[in-house]
Amino acid sequence: MQFEVIARCHTTRARVSRMTLAHGTTVLPTFMPVATQAAIKGLTSQQMESLGVTLILNNTYHLNLRPGLKVLAEAGGAHKFQGWDRNLLTDSGGFQLVSLSKFTTITEEGALFASPFTGEPTMLTPEESISIQHTIGADIIMQLDDVVSSLTTGTRVEEAMKRSVRWLDRCIVQHKKAGRQDTQNLFAIVQGGLDPNLRDQCLDAMIERQDGVAGYAIGGLSGGEEKDIFWRIIKQCADKLPEERPRYSMGIGFAEDLLVCVALGVDMADCVFPTRTARFGVALTHDGPLNLKLSKHARDFRTLDEKCPCPTCSDKTSRAMLHHIVTHETSGAHALTLHNVIFQAQVMGQAREAIIAGTFPEYLRSFFARYFGESGYPEWCVNALRSVGVDLLEGDPDGKIIPGSGVRWDYAQGS
Amino acid sequence: MTQPASFTFSLTSPTARYGPRLGKIALRRPGSTVDLQIPTPGLLTATSRGVVPHLSRDHHRLTDAIRWVNIPFETFLEHNPPVPTLQPGQNPLHTFLGFPPGKHLLSISARDPYDGREMPPNGKSHVSVYCLRGVRKLSPTDWSSYVLSCQPDVVFALSDIPFTDPPYSQKRLTKSIERSATWLSTILRSETRQNVFVQMAGGTCLPARKAFSDSLLERLDGPEADAIKPLTTLDEGVRGYTFDLVPLRQCLETQAKTSHTLSHHEIVPLIKTSLDPLSEQKIRLINSTESPHEILHYISHVGIDIFDARWAQRAADIGVALDFAFPVRSTGAQKDIGHCLYDTQYTLDFSPLADSFRGALSQGSTSPICPCAACSPVVPATRIYHGADTPVVLGEEPRKEAGTIYRPHVSRAYIHHLLHTHEMSAHALLVMHNLAVLDAFFAGVRKLISDAPERWEAEVLKFSEEYDESVTVFHQARASWREVELARGKGRLAREKEKKDAEGLATAA
Repeated sequence: MQFEVIARCHTTRARVSRMTLAHGTTVLPTFMPVATQAAIKGLTSQQMESLGVTLILNNTYHLNLRPGLKVLAEAGGAHKFQGWDRNLLTDSGGFQLVSLSKFTTITEEGALFASPFTGEPTMLTPEESISIQHTIGADIIMQLDDVVSSLTTGTRVEEAMKRSVRWLDRCIVQHKKAGRQDTQNLFAIVQGGLDPNLRDQCLDAMIERQDGVAGYAIGGLSGGEEKDIFWRIIKQCADKLPEERPRYSMGIGFAEDLLVCVALGVDMADCVFPTRTARFGVALTHDGPLNLKLSKHARDFRTLDEKCPCPTCSDKTSRAMLHHIVTHETSGAHALTLHNVIFQAQVMGQAREAIIAGTFPEYLRSFFARYFGESGYPEWCVNALRSVGVDLLEGDPDGKIIPGSGVRWDYAQGS
Repeated sequence: MTQPASFTFSLTSPTARYGPRLGKIALRRPGSTVDLQIPTPGLLTATSRGVVPHLSRDHHRLTDAIRWVNIPFETFLEHNPPVPTLQPGQNPLHTFLGFPPGKHLLSISARDPYDGREMPPNGKSHVSVYCLRGVRKLSPTDWSSYVLSCQPDVVFALSDIPFTDPPYSQKRLTKSIERSATWLSTILRSETRQNVFVQMAGGTCLPARKAFSDSLLERLDGPEADAIKPLTTLDEGVRGYTFDLVPLRQCLETQAKTSHTLSHHEIVPLIKTSLDPLSEQKIRLINSTESPHEILHYISHVGIDIFDARWAQRAADIGVALDFAFPVRSTGAQKDIGHCLYDTQYTLDFSPLADSFRGALSQGSTSPICPCAACSPVVPATRIYHGADTPVVLGEEPRKEAGTIYRPHVSRAYIHHLLHTHEMSAHALLVMHNLAVLDAFFAGVRKLISDAPERWEAEVLKFSEEYDESVTVFHQARASWREVELARGKGRLAREKEKKDAEGLATAA
C-alpha cells in the first residue's frame, strides 16, 4: 500500500489522502458501499464503476459459506468472481459470528461456533480468518478481533480488548508467512468498548505493532451506544493513531456520523444503511431522507435532488414514478440504491474538495444547516465539532439544538 | 393538441396471406425527420408497473433488444386521475417512465395481457381492471382521455374479453364482440388520430370471430359514421390486429380440447378465422407465447409480426439463462432452451451464460457474440466524479481508447451464487441476457426468411428436434426458485444440508 496525505484541514483533524492498492487508487476520506455476498444489492460491477466508486466491501463470513472457498479459489479470487476491477476490503468474519450466531463462544484459540450447515462445533482461528481472506483476495483484509457488543460492561470488555491484541499478533504472523503483504494489506481493529482507559491501552499496544499493519480500524462501536460517547471514542482513537496510516471507522453510514468522523480524522467508513434503506423506499438527500412510500410523493414530478449526478436524478426520474414502484418492483430499489450510493460518495467527495480548498468548516456548517436546519442540530454533533474548532451555530444563532441521536426521518405529516 | 407519431408498417417480402413474412415498422414523431425502425418478426418487451422488471433505466438503455415496450396501464388506476396523465411536457408517458422517445416505441394496454386471473364481469361501458388497491372500472371515454394525455405511440383499444369463469354463452360472446366494436369506435373518435390496435374478439367460437372481423369492415352509416369521420369503416382506423393467448388458452382448457402446451395447434385456426376477411398488409401481434417453438409455429402458420417477450423475461425471474439459436448452428442430443442456474452443476461452471453465444472477450469459441451486459460487459465510457478523485488526483492515466472496452463475461457460477443468496443482481443480468438471446433468435428468423425462405420448414423442424419443446427447464427452475424463496431466514443452511443429505440417501437406496 502507498498512503500519502495530500491535504489537511486548517481547523479540524480532517485530511485528504491517496491510498494506492493493488487495484488502483482510492482518495480518502471515502465511504465504502457494502456488497455482502459479492454484489451491491441489485447492481452490477460495471454500474458501481460508472458511479465512480473505487472501493467496496465483501463479508468474509458470508462468502465463506456461499459460494465457499473452493469456488472463489477456482474463480481466481473475489475480484474475478464478481467482475470487480477496483479495490476491495473484507472483514474478518468475527462480527457476524457474534451477531448472527447465538452459540458462538470465544476461546483463546479462536471463535467456536455452531456450523450453520451441520450445527457441529467449528473453530475460526485468527490464522484461519486470514487465510480465508487470502483466498478471497481483497486488497484490504481485517484482523480477527474479539468483538463484544458496545453495550457490554465489566471485565469481558478488557478481556476482549487484550485478546484482540494477541490475535492481531497471530494474524500478522500468518499474513507474513503467506507472503501476501505486497498484494493484500492487513488492518488492525482497535477495541476497548466505551472505556477510554481500555481504548488507550489497546491503542498503545496496536501502535507498537505498526510495522505489521497497513491501517487501523476503530471497532466495537455503532452498537447502540450513546452518540455522545461514540464521538469521544472516535476522537480519542483518531487523535492517537499514527498519521501515516489510514483510519477506518466500522459500521458508520449516516451522513452526520460520516462528517463528524471525517472532522475527527477518520478516512474510511462502511455501512449497509444507504443500500438497505433504498430497498425500503428511502432516498437520502441533502435536505434529509425522503420516504418515497409516503403518498405525499405520489404526484410530485420533481426529481429527488436537482443537483445530484446519479443516474436516477440525471435522468429526471420523478418522485411520483419512484412512489409508484418502490417496494413493488426491484427496479425501484435499484433506482434508489444508485442514488444513495452517489449521495454518500458526494457527501465525502465534497468534504475532500472542501478540505483541499481550506473551506471544510464552512462545508460542515452549510451541510448541517441544510440537512438539519428545520428539525434542529443534534447536540452530539455540535459538541463533537466544537471539539475540533467548528461551531455549527456560528452564523445561525437561533439554530435549534436537539438532544439524543437526532437522526432525520421523513414522516407522513409535515416535512 | 400534439399529434401522435406516424406509424407505418410495410411488408418487405412478397408473401402469401399466411406464412413467414418480413416487415418493417417505421415510427416518425411530429417534427422529426428520423424514423424509429423496428424490423419484424420481432419482439415486444413487457413491463410491470411501468418498468421492465429488474432493469434500472441505464440497464434498459444498454439492452438494444428493447425497442417496443408495452405498458399495461391498470396499475396507474390506483390514483384518480392516473399520475402519468398529469406529467407535464412533451412525450409525457416516455418522460414519466424514462424511455427515450428516440429509442423506444411505447404502447399502452388497459390490462396486463399475461394476467388471466378471474375478474368481475365487464359492464356495458366498462372493463374491470386490476390494481394493487383492488378492481377498478375503466370506461372507454376515460381510456380515450388517458391516451390523449399520455400520448403513447400505440394504443390497444379497450375490448370486452371476459375473465369470468369460462365457458361463455353465445349471448356473452355476442355482447363481447358488440362492445369491443363500440369501444373501438370510441377511441377512433378521438380528436387526434391515434395508432390503434384492436384485440380480435370472439373467443374460441369461429362464427363469433368471423362476425367481429366483419363488423370491422362494415361500412357505417348514420350517427355511427359521423362519429368516426372521415373513416368509413372501423378497420380503416386500425393499425394492427392483436391476439391475446391467455384468455384463448383458458377457454380451450375448459373445453378440454387440448393440453396447455399444445394449444397453439388449436389457436391457429382461430386466428386465421379472424384474419381471413382482413387486409394482410396490417401488422399482427401476439401476446403470451411461451416458447420459441410456439413462436416459430405462429410465424410458419399465420405470419405473426410481433411477439411479446414476457416468457423470456419471466425465465430470468426464475433463474433461467436462455440458450438457443435459430437457425440451429450445431446439432447433437436434444437440449433444453436454457440453463436453470439454480442447479448445483453450475457451482463451478465459469463459462458464459449460453453455449450458443460467447462473450466479447471469451476465448476458444466461434459462436456469435451475445451483446448483453452479462456476456459482454462494457467498461463504462464515463464515470461520475465526486470531488478530488479525477484521474489527475489519482495519478492514473486517463482513458485514451475511444472505442468499446469489454470486460470478461459474467459466469454461470456467479449467477448461481447470486440466485442462491437471493441477490437481485442475478435477475437484472438474466433479463438483459434473455432479451438479447430472443432478439438474436428473431434476427435469425428474419435472415432466413430473407435469404433462404425455401429452407424455412426444414430449419423449423431442425429447431424442434434440437430443443426440448416441453420446456422442462422452466418447471425445474420454478421449483428451485420457490425453494430458495421458502428457505430464506435463519437456519436455512442447515435445513438445506438436511434435505440434500436426505436426497443423497434416497439416491443411494
